Amino acid sequence: MYQSESVIRNHYNNINDWLDQMTSKVILEKNAEAETHFRNIGITFSTNNETARERIIPFDLIPRIFTYTEWLRLERGVIQRAKALNAFLADIYNQGEIIKANIIPKEIIYKKKSFEPSMFGFSPPRDIYSPIIGIDLVRTGPNDYFVLEDNCRTPSGVSYMLENREIMMRMFPDLFHNNRVTPIDDYPTRLLQTLMSLAPIKCENPEPVCVLLTPGPLNSAYYEHSFLSDQMGIEMVESTDLFVEGKYLYMKTVDGPKRVDVVYRRIDDDFLDPLCFNPQSVIGIPGIMDVYRTGGVNICSAPGAGIADDKAIYIYVPEMIKFYLGEQPILDNVETWNCEKEQELKYVLDNINELVVKEVDGSGGYGMLIGPKSSKSSIDEFKTKLSTNPNGYIAQPLLDLSFSPTLIKNQVEGRRVDLRPFCLIGEQAQLSSGGLTRVAMNEGSFVVNSSQGGGVKDTWVLAE
Amino acid sequence: MERAETTARLLDVGYRMSLFPNPSGYNNEWESVLSAAGAIEGYKNKYDTIEQKNVEDYLFFDESNPSSVYNCILNARNNALVVRTSFTPESWLAINKTYQEILNLKEQKFTKSDLPNLTEWTIEQVNLFRGSLSSLLRNDGYNFLFLGLFIERADNSARLLDVKYFVLLPKPQYVGGNIDNMQWSILLRSLSSFRAFRWAYDGNITATKIADFLVLNNNCPRSLSFCIQNIVKHLTNLTCSPEKVGRIYNNLKDLNTKIKEEKIETIVEYGLHQFVTQFIRKISSVDNEIHKEFFN
Repeated sequence: MYQSESVIRNHYNNINDWLDQMTSKVILEKNAEAETHFRNIGITFSTNNETARERIIPFDLIPRIFTYTEWLRLERGVIQRAKALNAFLADIYNQGEIIKANIIPKEIIYKKKSFEPSMFGFSPPRDIYSPIIGIDLVRTGPNDYFVLEDNCRTPSGVSYMLENREIMMRMFPDLFHNNRVTPIDDYPTRLLQTLMSLAPIKCENPEPVCVLLTPGPLNSAYYEHSFLSDQMGIEMVESTDLFVEGKYLYMKTVDGPKRVDVVYRRIDDDFLDPLCFNPQSVIGIPGIMDVYRTGGVNICSAPGAGIADDKAIYIYVPEMIKFYLGEQPILDNVETWNCEKEQELKYVLDNINELVVKEVDGSGGYGMLIGPKSSKSSIDEFKTKLSTNPNGYIAQPLLDLSFSPTLIKNQVEGRRVDLRPFCLIGEQAQLSSGGLTRVAMNEGSFVVNSSQGGGVKDTWVLAE
Repeated sequence: MERAETTARLLDVGYRMSLFPNPSGYNNEWESVLSAAGAIEGYKNKYDTIEQKNVEDYLFFDESNPSSVYNCILNARNNALVVRTSFTPESWLAINKTYQEILNLKEQKFTKSDLPNLTEWTIEQVNLFRGSLSSLLRNDGYNFLFLGLFIERADNSARLLDVKYFVLLPKPQYVGGNIDNMQWSILLRSLSSFRAFRWAYDGNITATKIADFLVLNNNCPRSLSFCIQNIVKHLTNLTCSPEKVGRIYNNLKDLNTKIKEEKIETIVEYGLHQFVTQFIRKISSVDNEIHKEFFN
């Protein structure tokens, strides 16, 4: 929000005035109102502890704001990246040109667990493997945006983006009268159009039947699954609701079987088809992969799409953009050391006090070491881990993430934030006019994950 | 109570639309909200310009606006008072509490950001009242009550369609253009059918599908067809004066058959506007007849 110590960036002026007017009593009331609203609609996430009450993610009342021009650049950058990631998937599951061109070593790709050999030689509709991509961005200076992570499998958080806006519009209409905020409520419609535009070749229905496949109510993102399917008006199903007969996939309905054309799956590869992936799995739809490969159904995202967001592959995304699109990357990566390489591993071990070390397969802010903030013993522990299993780790500098004003005990304080906008690729590529801003609520914290005490904010893109 | 809900929903729609930017500044849907509520003339007699605050006040609290939420509740309560003995204690309580609460609300007035709470409150109260009706005896009083409810609803739905009928004229493209999207969503939201529509029809949103949903679809509890069928049902369930019922039914018969057999394409081709206008006229003549036959 601030340019320097005390100069407020222009587009935050309105917000600042608004904050000045609010008494701490009003703030407390509004906080309580938001919390009640979130509980009433049920946007909670379950914790492993069954006796605990469902948790809600802390919601901060102060929105994060992007100007139209700021956003334009992010939009171009994210779409560019999403296209390159899809081109990469199409390539490695077919000709493998990028390997032949010696840009990415083949071991990194083909040895990964997230690489799916059964996808070899198969092309999904429109060559889109990952139609919904969430790109995590951080800002370290006025115009310095970096990509921290790509999410190509089943990125979640879009329900928070939509519900945060609804609650803000409800509680603070005056804010929306004084700031021209681009609406985002057509996201579900656009998502549905994207899914429908990815119907499989054998689909004759001009209006393809889409379903959302959820692992069930115990999943932490279950609210989002039900929210999105309700907003799109498509059925939410569990794998037991689906079955394969002949060369097609059907869902069970009270009216008999109904053919399904597109499955928006929110479950992992491993649980898709016990015949193909994990024979031990009791969940899954036996035979769905066969139907998929013969063009009877489309699965979004494609099995094996996860290889594209592997942290070891991440390093090569700027190269992918140049290779497949012939363009310069608009958004840069964060500098990353790949511990698989001997020299880089040595650098990491020597400088571990200043670096953030992450597990290649880790997520949710678990299994990482923040060098400057860690005790000697945990640093030593990680050094051992790194030496015994270098392939499992990457390292990055500790980024000075931008601060966003956040209400902490009725005082406005700076807290670190990141941003996840959602990119849709089907017949056309488009970016949500907003995204999920996550905020590290604890003072001095760098970790924004909700499992680690992170909160969320409404994210505004101002109209032109 | 039915009309109170419609007015509240319209207010909600106007409120929502006013928060979205358009190329020249902001959307101003208040004028179309007023005309959909049938209150544009009354409003213009009272105010010179269309301003959100005044519109909200006029539609919610104004005593001179017969369709204001306040007046709807007041009238419903006064009518209930007259027939107090045919209500169960629950349904009387539901309506009388609503009335007591709106008196308090009116005294406190409201600030702008309270509107969503007010409309939510109204819808909740109406739902409470409707729920309480399941405890009523299924006698003629019950049938008359629902006759009134569905006549009111038929009229509301038809008027909304009439104000926005141009939105439903066939256009080849999908909903991608923001204006159409917004207009459609106003129409569907004000008929509390936004999410329901998505469930009723697969695939892309088209004008024809929406028209079909709101005019002919019997699964939609707001559609013209649904209202007519319920009017017929409650009318023919009446046990009193069969000859009067017969006369009214004869007047309705044509419309009932027509709406059962008609295809939406034919209606749109013939003219949705004409169709809806005729519908409104017919419903109002049925309403008058019921009054004349039974309550004079």
